Amino acid sequence: MSRRRELTRYVGARLLLAPVMLWLIASLVFLLLRVAPGDPIDALLGTRAPEAARTALRHQLGLDLPLPAQYGHFLVDLVRGNLGESLTNQTPVSEIIRQSLPASLELGAVALVIAAVLGLAAGFSGIARPEGKLDLAGRLYGIGTYALPPFWAAMVVQLIFAVGLGWFPVGGRFPPTLVPPSGSGFYLLDSLLAGNLQQFSGSLRHLVLPAATLGILLSGIFDNALRLNLRRALRSDYVEAARSRGLSETRVVLRHALPNALLPVLTITGITVASLIGGALLIEVTFSWPGIAFRLQEAISQRDYNLVQGIVVVVAALVVLVSVTVDVLVALLDPRIRF
Amino acid sequence: MVASKNRIDSVDPAQAYSFGAMQLLSAVGDPLYAIDGRGRIEPRLATALPNVSADGLTARVPLRQGVLFHDGTRFDAAAMVFTLRRFLAIGKLSYLLGDRLRDVRASGPYELELRLRRPFSALPQLLSAINLTPLSPSAYRNYGKRFLNDRFVGTGPYRLSAANDQQQRLEPFKGYWGPRPANNGLDLVSLANSTALYGALRSGEVDVLLSTSLDGDQQLALHQSAAQGGLHEGVGPALEIGYLSLLTDQPPLSDGRLRQAVALSLDRQLISQRVSQGLRAPLRELVPPSLEGSSPRAWPAYDPGRARRLYRAAGYCRGRRLKLPLTFRSNIPADRLFALIWQEQLRRDLGDCVHLEITGMEATTAYRQLGDGAFVMILLDWMGDFPDAGNYLVPLLGCDEARGNRCLKGASAASGSFWTRPGLDADLRRSEGMAGAPRVDLIRSIQAEAAAAVPYLPLWLVAPRAWSLPRISTPEFDGSGRVVFSRLRMLASGGVQP
Repeated sequence: MSRRRELTRYVGARLLLAPVMLWLIASLVFLLLRVAPGDPIDALLGTRAPEAARTALRHQLGLDLPLPAQYGHFLVDLVRGNLGESLTNQTPVSEIIRQSLPASLELGAVALVIAAVLGLAAGFSGIARPEGKLDLAGRLYGIGTYALPPFWAAMVVQLIFAVGLGWFPVGGRFPPTLVPPSGSGFYLLDSLLAGNLQQFSGSLRHLVLPAATLGILLSGIFDNALRLNLRRALRSDYVEAARSRGLSETRVVLRHALPNALLPVLTITGITVASLIGGALLIEVTFSWPGIAFRLQEAISQRDYNLVQGIVVVVAALVVLVSVTVDVLVALLDPRIRF
Repeated sequence: MVASKNRIDSVDPAQAYSFGAMQLLSAVGDPLYAIDGRGRIEPRLATALPNVSADGLTARVPLRQGVLFHDGTRFDAAAMVFTLRRFLAIGKLSYLLGDRLRDVRASGPYELELRLRRPFSALPQLLSAINLTPLSPSAYRNYGKRFLNDRFVGTGPYRLSAANDQQQRLEPFKGYWGPRPANNGLDLVSLANSTALYGALRSGEVDVLLSTSLDGDQQLALHQSAAQGGLHEGVGPALEIGYLSLLTDQPPLSDGRLRQAVALSLDRQLISQRVSQGLRAPLRELVPPSLEGSSPRAWPAYDPGRARRLYRAAGYCRGRRLKLPLTFRSNIPADRLFALIWQEQLRRDLGDCVHLEITGMEATTAYRQLGDGAFVMILLDWMGDFPDAGNYLVPLLGCDEARGNRCLKGASAASGSFWTRPGLDADLRRSEGMAGAPRVDLIRSIQAEAAAAVPYLPLWLVAPRAWSLPRISTPEFDGSGRVVFSRLRMLASGGVQP
């Protein structure tokens, strides 16, 4: 079978399995939420509401139906693309996701760029003189940023640059005194498209601290991955062969070792992107960033079953999509991959 | 700019129940009655107190004329009827009204007639609930049966010009019937954690900070800063109580002597100092001191000698220690501190008689299990939906079904104590219809009974606080515990206020 057909079959199988995987995830979340202690009625009414009021609200929200019936409704709605309404305020779950997912994606995208630039630069820095000072500094940076507790790092950054120096806002996504840009929900993009510099700078000022913190924390992963793979590549036979042909060291590194070392980094990027789709909870909470992880955490504490289910299903679908895309990209770039 | 931790999911008064939403609604809405900073009831959109019939079952409320909604339509009795019926139909807290109100109608263009299920003397206080603020029938025409979460059209001094769950903008309403706000508008922002809130005020990014959900040590730092003149601090009426619920129908606390001993073992002064440096005042009653019916010394004071005698009488202290489980809400820092400090205080003072076994549990999980009798002792808090003594007794002591002194169904069971006594619920109901000194006497006698039986142990009183930068006037609170935004103003120079 040709490699192209192999790849097509693999992608087809992954895409066909995706709905099964989503069904499993959705069912698991549905079940776990009902098994977990806590009651959305308590979260909504408190513990002192009369039984009649509790019963009425339970009926209104459909929580008095037998579990199989609730599950059946949930699945039917899901197949129709209806994620239901938030139990907390009856806003459609899809609307809440539409508002908060772009916030997480925007933060994640900028953080990923920062992480890639810093991480790859640090990973590449010591390559000329392994075990030299630059190499050692790069390794320390990689280990340090990887090991830093995100909430602690975020609070320190916040205290220094927002509270102490006052260079950036403490939290939030947009200046309260301005009207947020309308459109896709990606404020940087929307304000640029609208040509509104005030909105753009307002969005950017709010984005800098959370994105830089997240980017720096993630950069250690890229640093370590590139460093290890580049070293391995530089010791490989094809690099020795290139050297023996008299190619310059720069050319050997840039044309032969680096592309091969970057392939595993691409896989790591895919995993990182997948994890960022679900939001970076501790960063979002610390910087009051109204992203999807922040909403999910609140929904869990309020036992907002519909919202939790909706967010998890949508995030899971996106993760599956990213995962398949990365697999395809790696396969296209690396002819050694077999399925 | 005013900051707090409260993200606002909905600005619909029928839906809103969080502190943040109530605070916002109190700026954009007007209740029929309001409670001032001294606890006195004053007509707002009503022009006088309700005129109640001899049987106490019908109340007529005269309404203010010349009041406009933010959409320019006129406020009248029909609008109030629309609002109350909508709240009864879809309100999250509709039971507050539905439990007392049989029907409502407009008895004149500017007169409201309320038909009550039973006499209810705290009707003006109930009508001061901001959830009952009038709504424009024309703006809410299509929202009679569903919520309007992101817009509000009422009669308050501010109109809501922009809102999302994290930020809201308030602009003075030019057509307001009362005094104009002392400022040109406000932006409310919510930040997700206490450190960010504290930092935002410290860095001058926000002008005013509300204390809700702010960590105790940060409140203390702001309090100290205010004492040194670095900030202005406003303190509201203390209407939130912290208390312990004791499981009275199962051992070991089914023994009344042990409950009394536990009551005498609690050193509130020490605990208040250690947990909050005194910001949470020690409390020995269920009714906050600012309300009629308060009885400040209802529960016994700390007395380890008497406590020891009672432990001994119950068979403890002589080589046998009572193991007393205490559950605290793990997501509330003050609760954890209380548990650790009380454990240590008991070890120091009565270590040979009693040992506190403490366990943390996430709040929503704990609430679910309260009515199952899962906790021998648990630390909880409560704030009445409107300031009235009955609102602190009925939700804790009410009982719909009882067997002897054991409450099988009702508020007492739902609160995890399960204590009652024959006739107590009837007394509580009776107190709701009474007024003046006889009501105060009855409420005090109910508190005295509860103090003797110890189904609950009042612990402390929490007052809302707000801090403003020196260039802003001191935040003032109304009698419902909310900052009066319309009185916030920039000070002329040097942060000096008259």
